Amino acid sequence: MNGFTVFARKEAREILRTWRIWVLPGILLFFALTGPVLARFTPEIVGALAASQLGGLKLPTPTYLDAYTQWIKNLSQVAQFALIIIYGSIVSAETKSGTAVLVLTKPVSRTAFVIAKAAVHSVFLAVLVVVGTLLTWGLTAAVFGKAPGSALWFSALVWLVFGVLFIALMTLLSVLIDSAAGAAGAGLGAYALVSIAAIWKPLGSYSPAALATQPASLAAGKDAAVLWPVLTSLLLAVALVALAAQVFRRKDL
Amino acid sequence: MLCTGRATTPTSDERTIQTTGLTKTYGEKRALDAVNLVVEEGSIFGFLGPNGAGKTTTLRILTGLARPTSGSVQILGHDVALAGNQVHADIGFLPDVPGFYEWMTAGELLRLAGGLFGIGGSVLDQRVAMLLDLAGLGEVKTKIGGYSRGMKQRLGVAQALINAPKLLLLDEPTSALDPMGRKDVLDMLTSLRGRTTVFFSTHILADVERVCDTVAILDRGRVVAQAPIDELKARYGVQKVILEVTDGGDELAEAIGRQTWATAVARGSDGAIEITVADVGAAQREIPAMVAARNTGMLRMEAGEMGLEEVFVELVGGAQR
Repeated sequence: MNGFTVFARKEAREILRTWRIWVLPGILLFFALTGPVLARFTPEIVGALAASQLGGLKLPTPTYLDAYTQWIKNLSQVAQFALIIIYGSIVSAETKSGTAVLVLTKPVSRTAFVIAKAAVHSVFLAVLVVVGTLLTWGLTAAVFGKAPGSALWFSALVWLVFGVLFIALMTLLSVLIDSAAGAAGAGLGAYALVSIAAIWKPLGSYSPAALATQPASLAAGKDAAVLWPVLTSLLLAVALVALAAQVFRRKDL
Repeated sequence: MLCTGRATTPTSDERTIQTTGLTKTYGEKRALDAVNLVVEEGSIFGFLGPNGAGKTTTLRILTGLARPTSGSVQILGHDVALAGNQVHADIGFLPDVPGFYEWMTAGELLRLAGGLFGIGGSVLDQRVAMLLDLAGLGEVKTKIGGYSRGMKQRLGVAQALINAPKLLLLDEPTSALDPMGRKDVLDMLTSLRGRTTVFFSTHILADVERVCDTVAILDRGRVVAQAPIDELKARYGVQKVILEVTDGGDELAEAIGRQTWATAVARGSDGAIEITVADVGAAQREIPAMVAARNTGMLRMEAGEMGLEEVFVELVGGAQR
């Protein structure tokens, strides 16, 4: 095994043996388990809580698409914010604690160090999204009695590309900014900018910004052209990790 | 700057480390100023200097963690800036404050370190077992997060040895340890004599005197002395005179202290007068005359050997005066 593989295995074991196995998986598991049930019973809950004020209001009957939309919105908002905050220290935690020095004075290149981190955590996110989507799918079928898979899986995988893009972005920000909070703040700022940029049609159709909103449309059963945004996002993710490696190589540790 | 010569100049093949004009600046601050070091193969080299002298900066450049502003570093015949992993494959490094994955056990950390060098199978099994024993951690099953500073330091030395390095670089390996921890680490280093080249930085002079054969003294980014340790002490030993008289020692010491050629006078535990002199010739002429003038007997007058501490204070303290 070469240094890259050994370090990548360390990164994977670190996920399984530290707080990382609880936080993001816990958040996604919670939403996967509660989303379909909440979607099914929202009209009853709202009716029971606000019957006196909203006596005349009739909410539409929920469908499986509401459960799907709920899952994707949770991914796009809460999970996205958690991801940005968690990965604000993806590289800087190791440079600050001195563990990067331990590894990088052995035959492991700084490029391999950065790529291994971005790759392992992207795979981790993919596993979480797949498991969460499977749970959502199964619970939706149980609650609504009907759950065609295409809209759910298509939208979840498109969001996954957006999530991977932000892991790449946080890798770069964590190389550039030693403070985890500073990098997370910059990441949240980037997310806000991307969400605003999506309003402008050219960016909202072809650039990664489209992925801020389109997964939710797909989950709601609407058509959305996502080929270009997915391709540009993947390309940008690769470019961000390459830039992170380049900057990290020049950095004094 | 004083750079004493050696009896024979080592060839480039015998030089494990050679730095040439190594300079590192941080803004206006010059952390290293044209540092030239030569470390011969097989030596235990003490890199001595007060806090803030630039020792850690030097080690960070030697290991490729930082880049020099100017100058070059050759390690084991390779230029560090260009060779990268080729150099890393043959060195072991312990930083001043080693960072570990605290969720791992010592065995797991050593296996990770070995794996990063491409070592596996039974070779890795044997080395991990041997190094855990050497570090006194063979029976410890807890995670590194619960280790004492001494245990971490011993583990740090062990992980630096996992690849049987040709060059072991250690940054202040004993500075934060209690006497037992210091002894353990120094014993580990002594056991490596003749098997690998050891370069370690420290500000603890006793450690250098105990294990090193060669020393360089760094002060404010400059190498002020570099020589085999005996040669360095001998060079400065002639500047100390030990005098013992039958009576009237206090008055004589006071009178000597007023002479221009005496830079310091102290009383030894046995009552001897220890005189640090600026002009040895003047001291040798005038001390017997001063003793005779007081009509007292001279028991002994000899050249004293300067301890490394006094050499250090003379060089570093002198530069700061």
